[in-house]
Amino acid sequence: MVLEEVLNFLKKVPPFQFLDEEILRTLASRITVEYYPKDTVILRQDGQPSEYLRIIKKGSVKVFVRTKDNEEVLIDYRGEGDSFGFLSLVSGDRSRANVVAAEDTLCYLIEKDLIVSLLEKNPSLTEFFLKSFLNKYIDRTYKEMRSRSLLYGGGDKLLFTTPVRELIAREPVTAPSEISIKEAAEIMSRNRISSLVLMDGNAPVGIITDRDLREKVVAKGKDINEPVSSIMSVSLVKIDSKEYCFEALLKMVRYNIHHLIVVEDGILKGIITNHDLMMLQGVSPISVAREIETQQSIEGLVPVSKKINHIIGLLLRDGSKATSITRIITELNDRLQKKILELAEKRFGRPPLPYCWIVFGSEGRREQTFKTDQDNALIYADPASPEEEKKAKQYFTVFADFVNKGLIECGYNACPAGYMASNPQWCQPLKTWKKYFSNWISEPVSESVLKSLILFDFRGLYGDLNLADELRTYLNSLLEGNKVFLGYMANAIIKNRPPIGFLRTFVVEKSGEHKDELNLKVKGIAPLVDIIRLFSLEKTLKETSTIDRINILSTKHSIVKDHADELLHAFEFMMLLRIHHQFEQMESGKSPDNFINPNKLSNLERRTLKEAFHLISRLQDTLIERYKALIW
Amino acid sequence: MVKEMIASLRIFRERQKLKDIPILEASYVVIDTELTGLDEKRDSIISLGAIRMKGGRIYPGDYLYRIIKPERVLTKESILIHGLTPQELESGMDIEKAIADLENFIGDEIIVGHCVSIDIAFINRQIKKSFRRTLRNPVIDTWLIYENLNKRFPSERCFSQMADNLYDASRCFGIPVENAHNALIDAFITAQFFQRLLPLLMRSGIERITELLRIGDPFRGGDRFRNPEIQNL
Repeated sequence: MVLEEVLNFLKKVPPFQFLDEEILRTLASRITVEYYPKDTVILRQDGQPSEYLRIIKKGSVKVFVRTKDNEEVLIDYRGEGDSFGFLSLVSGDRSRANVVAAEDTLCYLIEKDLIVSLLEKNPSLTEFFLKSFLNKYIDRTYKEMRSRSLLYGGGDKLLFTTPVRELIAREPVTAPSEISIKEAAEIMSRNRISSLVLMDGNAPVGIITDRDLREKVVAKGKDINEPVSSIMSVSLVKIDSKEYCFEALLKMVRYNIHHLIVVEDGILKGIITNHDLMMLQGVSPISVAREIETQQSIEGLVPVSKKINHIIGLLLRDGSKATSITRIITELNDRLQKKILELAEKRFGRPPLPYCWIVFGSEGRREQTFKTDQDNALIYADPASPEEEKKAKQYFTVFADFVNKGLIECGYNACPAGYMASNPQWCQPLKTWKKYFSNWISEPVSESVLKSLILFDFRGLYGDLNLADELRTYLNSLLEGNKVFLGYMANAIIKNRPPIGFLRTFVVEKSGEHKDELNLKVKGIAPLVDIIRLFSLEKTLKETSTIDRINILSTKHSIVKDHADELLHAFEFMMLLRIHHQFEQMESGKSPDNFINPNKLSNLERRTLKEAFHLISRLQDTLIERYKALIW
Repeated sequence: MVKEMIASLRIFRERQKLKDIPILEASYVVIDTELTGLDEKRDSIISLGAIRMKGGRIYPGDYLYRIIKPERVLTKESILIHGLTPQELESGMDIEKAIADLENFIGDEIIVGHCVSIDIAFINRQIKKSFRRTLRNPVIDTWLIYENLNKRFPSERCFSQMADNLYDASRCFGIPVENAHNALIDAFITAQFFQRLLPLLMRSGIERITELLRIGDPFRGGDRFRNPEIQNL
């Protein structure tokens, strides 16, 4: 009766749903229920190891870590049916992250012993849990990862396909077990290895690792002249060289060790460490960046560019923030584009005049997710004579055409509205660009405003960046105190209201392919980006990314000052939602779009989205007030 | 005689110790009974449900549920409420055996229930009749706690309206309440209700059993066997 409730729930939750009814019944009978009011700290980073696997029955939790610099890094939100505390439970290690109830939350608790015995009998269960927590384990410690670099990704697929033997780089270093601790440490540092296998004749009898030296020698003040056998671990955990790396990881987790002995036909072949597993990343942002650098042709770049989307998935699973993901992606896109520009320069020879390749739109703001349309243009230095002008025109027309086509080949579609350098309108000397801008600003008809919304997020990407800087300075001089133009811009922005009645009356597409869906980009992200752009133009900032703009405006702009944290949070959330949505689409073979089905969001997501919409709407009201005289 | 005095002194001491336990560490048994009616003289228990809790943790797998063979014919109304058919009841257990099981299940733990004085009165009457003793465990009434907390946290959403029965009050706390009534499900609902009240108790500084009993003991200053409320019915 009461158990039925638990049982029925488990039947709907992976991986438990795959278990036999009988096992589920036993499981249900031993489950206990706890309730955590909002904000309860359930697990504490570096705190006691978790004694239970907790499955969320109702509510949601926030998983985050605090870095050395006391920065809060969000790992995950988990909701109904998700579980937490697994890794700390099976490894017996300290808890790796803070888990806090994001709302009133009810959890089912399964004791450690029960989980361990279930795992032993049901390998599929282990696989499920490890997969879902895998990257987070490979990181070893989040702190390490965050302070190292964001340009990091794991390749968990490889874990299931790479045999252990492929990770063994060289013959194992061994030593007789009679030597002293000091001698062993010397061998290790000479060979730059973190573990040493100790032999009795031909048979391995023990292992010492850096950790043993730290914990059993240095920390305890032990005499280093004592035999190494006094500190070695005699329980050698072995793995066959034919096994997959996943099995190796499993053993490391299960025994809470970082080194495994690899054997082949019973003979010692080498050692693998969790570091080796970390390095097993076929597609990390770093490796893609390197690959881009080494290409010498567009044809060579095409396959590399395909990997960029894959990285997003890795970063997502890695728990990266949306804003970090978009930055990494933009960085990679930038590099690829620069490479194509380099190739173009090689092909067409030295340009007749200095030029600057600029990008705008989401690329200008460094907010790209999956491959988007091209948004680029070219500024060249003002020619001194009509001949020079003619030459420049000829050169840059062919040049821009080559680059745009190259980008198309690499999967960056042509801009449907023609905002590309190969369009003669957007391949002009600096003086013409200045004229464009001053015309738009002095005559803010709706078309001009639209163009400025797109182009004013420009940044120099390649070539003589001074040209872009000069254009920005010029633009700012035009905007300084120009309330009329800004008023026109405000007027265009407030036309697009976010659907604040989101929860009650879904403001979704009324018909067509995306009936009952919400265009997150148009209805949520764009209005926020637009408002922040307007405020940055008011304050004549140079920055183009929304996050940077908010951060700087938070000290300069009275409205942003009061809402900076909320704005950052709202932006981050909507971007992450969008990336997740698009990634899921790509995974299932669809092409990514921005249409979200509100019914498929969790309660928490829906609520957060609603708050974001409310915030935007409030700011739009403030805008109306601010530019009252110019709003019609 | 002296032996008995020492024994009862020991029990007294044990109980005092029990009362000093933090509410988040104490062990509880949450009970509910279904009755044929509220008249203590004529009506009887038809089913018993009990579920164990330790601190804020509920053990849904550690429960007791007994259907009891009625001593007299049931009215149609009570059949409707309980959803137990006469056949089910006929195949039920002897009240003496069931009540002994319950006593065993409860052991020395603190008893929790919603408007629990009624349940206790019926249980004690039966225990007394069968075994010449009564339950002496500390008893906590979630209804009394709810009322008390309602006064302390008038602005909390869960107290937005004062519910006058367990189901409505539970719904205010987001506890799912299905249509089915039975002693075990109701005990489970009560347990969840109590679970939600615990953090609020902590917030109001009620951290130990002694303090909890001060607001939640339905027999405070009264006879725990003969409940005046029941007699007046």
